[in-house]
Amino acid sequence: MIVYIILICISLWFIGSKFAAFIRHEHNQTAYKFATTLFIWGGILFTSLFPGEVRRLSQQMGFGENLNTLIFFGFVIVFILFFRLLRSVENLERNITELVRQNALMDLKTKLSAQSK
Amino acid sequence: MDKEKIYIVIPAYNEAIVLGGVIDEIKKNGFHNIIVVDDGSTDNTSHVLKNKAIIYVRHSLNRGKGASIKTGFEACKLLGANSIVTFDGDGQHDPIDIQPMIQLIQKGFDVVMGSRNYQEKHMPRYKAVGNSIGNFITWLIYGLWVSDSQFGLRAYSQKAIDNIHLTSDRYEFDSEIIREIARHGLKHCEMTAHVRYTEYAKKKKNKQSVIGAMKMVFRMLLTG
Repeated sequence: MIVYIILICISLWFIGSKFAAFIRHEHNQTAYKFATTLFIWGGILFTSLFPGEVRRLSQQMGFGENLNTLIFFGFVIVFILFFRLLRSVENLERNITELVRQNALMDLKTKLSAQSK
Repeated sequence: MDKEKIYIVIPAYNEAIVLGGVIDEIKKNGFHNIIVVDDGSTDNTSHVLKNKAIIYVRHSLNRGKGASIKTGFEACKLLGANSIVTFDGDGQHDPIDIQPMIQLIQKGFDVVMGSRNYQEKHMPRYKAVGNSIGNFITWLIYGLWVSDSQFGLRAYSQKAIDNIHLTSDRYEFDSEIIREIARHGLKHCEMTAHVRYTEYAKKKKNKQSVIGAMKMVFRMLLTG
């Protein structure tokens, strides 16, 4: 019971702070980020407020206990975030390579333009 | 054969021991337009090349063989090259293969891919096995079968380097070229080339490892 109360408080705090940041149009607070917060912490809040409903849903989906459902969806979210992170890293690597290339070719471009004059 | 517009691109990373000799050998075979792309070497590669009459381009950070070759291609575009040969800096490739490859480019091929003869006695067995796996995976992902998808000695026409769009920085670049050939319908052929497995080349730290090959396959699957 105490665990549920703690989870409710933490969820409300996270949702509240992100909502406040979103309506104040703070830097880097996008609708997508707020929706992600709502999905994750809203899910935890709902599970804490209505554990019976979530148990019924879990059993209908074949997961059994609430915790199994949470773990399953947790893994799905982690995998999605992992692939997004991987894609960001790949983009960064590509940008770094392009900068290094442009820097490397600068001398050659300077020599060629001097020769053409 | 007009050699004014023929460029040899050598991607090099920590090849100070052999690179000078490789360049001299290429020049003895009559090719003087050499672009060395130093991929952030930490040995004295740049010092070795000081007195060589070559075009020297240096990456300030190590970005990989694929990135180096792409930089070489960009340099060739700036220089107005019409035939380009990529040549490894570790001495494994033989410059006598350059001329027949250029002749094929000048006959109308866009890409000429060198291939190793794995029947020769000096060819390590594990390389043949690794290469077969690489060929199969390249065919599976990119739809084009070649007998040696990982050999770095290749020749390109101006049309090829204008059309080829590369995103890979590391060793998966060799396979990515295959994808680009298929995608753009480039006229291509293969040519058996000589390979020299020197003690230096065998002991090289920079070469492709099994873990590196697995990472390469994973990246090929991600980028498609």
